[in-house]
Amino acid sequence: MTPLLEVRGLTKRFGGLTAVHDLDFEVRAGEILGVIGPNGAGKTTTFNLVAGTYRPDGGDIRFSGESIAGLAPHRIAARGVMRTFQHNRPFGGMALVDNVLVGAHTRFRATLWSIVGGRAHGEEARQRAAAQELVSFVGLAELAHADVTTLSFGQGRLLEIARALAGEPRLILLDEPAAGLTPAECARLAEIIRGIAARGIAVLLIEHDMHFLLPLAERVVVLNFGAKIADGLPAEVRAHPAVMDAYLGSHAEPH
Amino acid sequence: MKSAALWLAAAVLLSAAAFVLGEYHNDVYRKLLLWIALALSYNFIFGIAGQVTFSHFAFYGIGAYGIVILLFYAALPWPLAILGAIALCVVLALAVAIPATRLEGFYLALATMAFAQLFIVVLNEGGSVTGGTGGLASYRLPRIAGLDLTGRTYTVVIVLLVLATAAVLRRIDNSWFGRACRAVRDNAEAAAAMGIDVARTKVIAFTVASVLAGIAGMAYAFVDNTVNPPIFGLENAFLLLFMVIVGGSGRHAGAVVGTVLLYLLPFVLSPLIGQHHALVFGVLMVAAILLQPRGLIALYDRFARR
Repeated sequence: MTPLLEVRGLTKRFGGLTAVHDLDFEVRAGEILGVIGPNGAGKTTTFNLVAGTYRPDGGDIRFSGESIAGLAPHRIAARGVMRTFQHNRPFGGMALVDNVLVGAHTRFRATLWSIVGGRAHGEEARQRAAAQELVSFVGLAELAHADVTTLSFGQGRLLEIARALAGEPRLILLDEPAAGLTPAECARLAEIIRGIAARGIAVLLIEHDMHFLLPLAERVVVLNFGAKIADGLPAEVRAHPAVMDAYLGSHAEPH
Repeated sequence: MKSAALWLAAAVLLSAAAFVLGEYHNDVYRKLLLWIALALSYNFIFGIAGQVTFSHFAFYGIGAYGIVILLFYAALPWPLAILGAIALCVVLALAVAIPATRLEGFYLALATMAFAQLFIVVLNEGGSVTGGTGGLASYRLPRIAGLDLTGRTYTVVIVLLVLATAAVLRRIDNSWFGRACRAVRDNAEAAAAMGIDVARTKVIAFTVASVLAGIAGMAYAFVDNTVNPPIFGLENAFLLLFMVIVGGSGRHAGAVVGTVLLYLLPFVLSPLIGQHHALVFGVLMVAAILLQPRGLIALYDRFARR
């Protein structure tokens, strides 16, 4: 079976620095794949290559069998790969549920003509109900009509996730979703991520915090200096000597 | 159903005003209504889509000159002339938008300002087609479908035009397209991540708003039965910007409030202080931006929430 996302020989250089070098990994349909590594390991660069923010200098990225390498971000989103931002980026001039509806952008079929003709109400109402459901899924139901500028950081992160889910992705990319959250918020977030996988949506989770990631991920890819140094089950990765060495410093216990 | 009744009530009330007002006030009223139509569409491009453009009045002029030239110089029948003037607005809007919307903020403002200036140059140098600096005059609205639409009836036509503009913009604003415009305005990178084609969204928003300005311009051509270059210059483009900002940018009601206030203010102020009303305008603008950056409509919001 072909994997949902297949990354082969991916390379990205910034001037003289090779941020990602000949990277191979894959995400299978419906699984949670974690990507970890110390700062500067190339995690965020990898994320941005998959999301289309950067163009690769070499290699290929295939999503359900078709190359998406070098496509513009909006085209990648339209194919069913949605992302969140590490630093929350809400649309400040809109209510929470409308932010989520923006995430459903590629799901709308009404043309401008039918909108002007007043024939798009049915679709609008259906999508609004679906968005409302996603707001509840991430636990923000009471805030559905709140001004997004009043949300806490943690609530903003949940909005990021609901907004990405609204695009009905087959793969969701989460960029350090636990960064900046309280332990209680992290626990809730882990539940939500499991819930996403339970809906059959694959999750590519870039994370700095092993403590958060290892219990959650089904498989883990470890990066260091832009290359893969380990790939396997969380338990295997945790015990891998190269990982202990590179990521945690030699002789250190996973914290 | 309820909203249909509200629109109908608005149409009846606003039309009735034409029959209450005298000749002179009808003229003022028609111009006010056209300013409102312009402010509504300018609010869409500036307030909702977040594009700072100065070409809106130029498109008003393109519609006005377009319809007059096509009707009387090219001698086309009126349905073709209307379609032709709309097509002209679409083509020119795309020609401006496709290169210009790649620009942002300051540079987009400059590019559209250059277009507006170029338009005035073309009008002045257009020879017998545009009538040069004197513009075009002494034409009359032809009978449309056998109807004489001049006088107070024409005020009603403009009322319907303004309401249609408002209805179209409201529908677009409350759709995925309106949200896409706001998303692009608020954060273009996040908008792209949601699957929004940012450049395309900007081009469509600009074209829709510019064509609506052009259609208002077509109606304007028969208000004074004369069109000339100064009307479509930058001075009015700035006034339009002020109207939207003072009223509350991004809000349809704000555009209406700002327009009514700034359009009628000179009529109140001129008898008192003559030409110095421009000074009052300037002070008012600065005060509005400093004290109430979200516009007068935000004052109403605060009042309504109590």
